[in-house]
Amino acid sequence: MNLGISATEYLSLIRNGEISAEEFIASTLDRVHAVEGKVHAYITMDEQNALNKARSIDKKIKAKERTGLFLGMPISIKDNICTSGIRTTCASKVLENFVSPYDATVVSKLKYEDAIIIGKVNLDEFAMGSTTEFSYFGPSRNPWNPEYVPGGSSGGSGVSVSALECMISLGSDTGGSVRSPASFCSVVGLKPTYGLVSRYGLVSYAHSIEQIGPVARKVQDVAFVLNTIAGHDPHDDTTVEKGAVDYVEDLDAGIKGKKIGLVQQMTEDGVDKEVSAATNSAISKLQDLGAECIPISLDSIVHSVAAYYTIASAEASSNLERYDNLRYGFDLGTEGYEFKAYVSKVRSNFGPEVIRRMLLGAFVLSAGYYGKYYLKAQKVRAMMKSQIDEAFKKVDFLIAPTMPILPFKIGEKINNPLTLYLLDINTIMANLTGIPAISVPFAISNMGLPIGIQIFANSFQEKSLLQASYALQQTTRLPEVPL
Amino acid sequence: MVDRKEIEHLGDLVKVELHDMEKYITQVDQILNYFDNLDKVEYDSDATLRKEISYEDLREDKHEPFLTDGTPLINKLKRDQNNFIRAPKMI
Repeated sequence: MNLGISATEYLSLIRNGEISAEEFIASTLDRVHAVEGKVHAYITMDEQNALNKARSIDKKIKAKERTGLFLGMPISIKDNICTSGIRTTCASKVLENFVSPYDATVVSKLKYEDAIIIGKVNLDEFAMGSTTEFSYFGPSRNPWNPEYVPGGSSGGSGVSVSALECMISLGSDTGGSVRSPASFCSVVGLKPTYGLVSRYGLVSYAHSIEQIGPVARKVQDVAFVLNTIAGHDPHDDTTVEKGAVDYVEDLDAGIKGKKIGLVQQMTEDGVDKEVSAATNSAISKLQDLGAECIPISLDSIVHSVAAYYTIASAEASSNLERYDNLRYGFDLGTEGYEFKAYVSKVRSNFGPEVIRRMLLGAFVLSAGYYGKYYLKAQKVRAMMKSQIDEAFKKVDFLIAPTMPILPFKIGEKINNPLTLYLLDINTIMANLTGIPAISVPFAISNMGLPIGIQIFANSFQEKSLLQASYALQQTTRLPEVPL
Repeated sequence: MVDRKEIEHLGDLVKVELHDMEKYITQVDQILNYFDNLDKVEYDSDATLRKEISYEDLREDKHEPFLTDGTPLINKLKRDQNNFIRAPKMI
């Protein structure tokens, strides 16, 4: 069975009775068994429930009863999004056995539409990282070359979609965590506008900047998922009521007459030559389709990494305060401990990146340094937003490479956290300012490693962003994943 | 420059028992030095990003029991063998 089909193709095959949901789920599970040893996308599988659900959907289809829009499509969920009945570990020892008593809003919505969750996928512990190497359960590997990192933190989402281990995945994007693995694994990943998708049930890391976003092999599949997961949620007061938008309709509207700004600070220093060439090629193809491209300078970007990591660490250190092994936790006796010693012992089970961010967060929020770091970082954020607002008066979209470099080998940069932080320079602007951004697979390097192109739009302009992405996607034909 | 004493104090503040202290001292120091670039920011405005939500847009302030499968969550946890609602005994 061809597991590489798009969501639209899947729906048509199911409706025509050419395949059943059970057959497709069973084939997908076979594929997972065949490739997991090489790529390690999943932390937890839910095979029996997935098969049972598929059978019940097949019955509903036969009986012509109401079926949800997804008709049994196999999906994976990043393991920091709560699923009732399947553990949510955040790739941390501290939550190794935690089973949420409720579903995240995005999960409830997908289940209601008959999507089938086949498992929970790997991430950097608590989504802190950009390679998926900081998982307590071990790193995920890039399906295009298993010696290389798949990006992160939603590495399991990127890998599972790229390796045909599911059709669609949900990740979360705090500083590029959906777009980085999308770029490194040659799939599409969208970070929606802050407030478009409910964060209820997403385990908080840096709540003022993170969003849940879909990962899929095609832009049209991302649009299809967004139709279901977007919208106001009474459980998340940061979501915004914008009225129903059909992101799939008119997806092929094209890009003729649109203006695109090439972000200079994201395309100059430190960008790999092949990535740079791919970006230029993408621009010229968009120009061929009738778009106009001009350079745009956003000088606040030079401060963005420092501002982002100040804010993210500050929020992380607050959010992680809840892990004291009383409300959530693992088996550790309390005898002989005084309260603080007990909690400190428990928290020593966090991985090194989580502990680093807790220390940094405590430092930048401390009384003597608050003005120097945290307040300054918030000013950079305001400065970026004002520069972005100005830019979108001149152009419809901004464009840049998603990642400045090609995927690199596992272990190559893990001992130098600052080097890893600096790789986020092209993605964090969207998080700090709240605007939507998408990574579209565009080229494969000479070494056979994927290159993604990133497009940004103004807040809540996902419909036109997806139209532009679809136009770009149609200009290129990429090889099958060599796995 | 961050020293051992400062990292120990931070570890104490966030309640984490630190192993591999030397590594944290070096790495946190390197990252904070990079954060010092924020000193070069020239932006006169006092604006920070804020979103105002009017009172009418907030949900009603009333108690609603948190239900899972039709049962209040608190009851469910009380029945759970591994419940973490009651804190363990400590000295």
